[in-house]
Amino acid sequence: MLHEAPQFLIALEQSALGSAIRQSSWAYMAANVGHILALMLFVSTVAVMDARLLGAFAAAPPATVVRPVRRLAAVGLLLLAGTGFVLFTAEATHVATNPVFQLKAALIVLGIGNALLAGRLLREALDETPAFAPLPTQAWLCAVLSLSVWVTVAACGRLIAYF
Amino acid sequence: MVRTLATLAMGFAFPAAVFAHHGWGSYDAANPVTVQGQIEALKYENPHASITVKAADKVWVVTLAPTSRMQTRGAPPEFVAVGKTVSAYGYPSTVEKDEMRAERITIEGKTVELR
Repeated sequence: MLHEAPQFLIALEQSALGSAIRQSSWAYMAANVGHILALMLFVSTVAVMDARLLGAFAAAPPATVVRPVRRLAAVGLLLLAGTGFVLFTAEATHVATNPVFQLKAALIVLGIGNALLAGRLLREALDETPAFAPLPTQAWLCAVLSLSVWVTVAACGRLIAYF
Repeated sequence: MVRTLATLAMGFAFPAAVFAHHGWGSYDAANPVTVQGQIEALKYENPHASITVKAADKVWVVTLAPTSRMQTRGAPPEFVAVGKTVSAYGYPSTVEKDEMRAERITIEGKTVELR
């Protein structure tokens, strides 16, 4: 791995931080557990948000569900990024050259892009749509893309170890 | 709606579950090897400890287990110290040249299961 990885990844892996993570008896383990717990927070909140966009919980005006839940999802994403950075740094060259990780990274970019775009596209519709009223078609598209992408990202994360 | 979501989620989760049973995907379990020789280097670190072993044919990198598991199975750093002679039974990597993942190691007559 070392021989084919870009220089900055080698530097990251061989940094003091990288070796501290590897040599600690608990850091890698803690980051691993934390990553899964953060994933639970993230995916559950994303699922609630997307379910509302798809028409579930119709008695609640969409903004009252989506806005607060989106903030929680953002917290989950930050925790995922932090714990993920620890896991990545320990084995940067190995992980970055793994095809499943590369797919995962691309899908994360797509997922975040979709979430940001949805935030813009649906801002007015969210504010104006009352309970039991249908949302525009874009809401449905964003929600389906979001669910598909994030569930696939989670699956890829678990699959990195097997390829 | 909930049913649609559940179906969607299962559609993604199922292939993942199938793959997960092939945990040794990048190791050739059909052709186990026993690597014997002196330990030249030790990395006692996470996520997996590893040793470099000078065998008769070549120098192998032998991937062991996470350090906490090594400790609880009775393989602290002293057990796999540089200079000792080890016999490691395991599976060669299909990706990394001269790397194998040890199922068990024997040092000074003591065998430790790593899986």
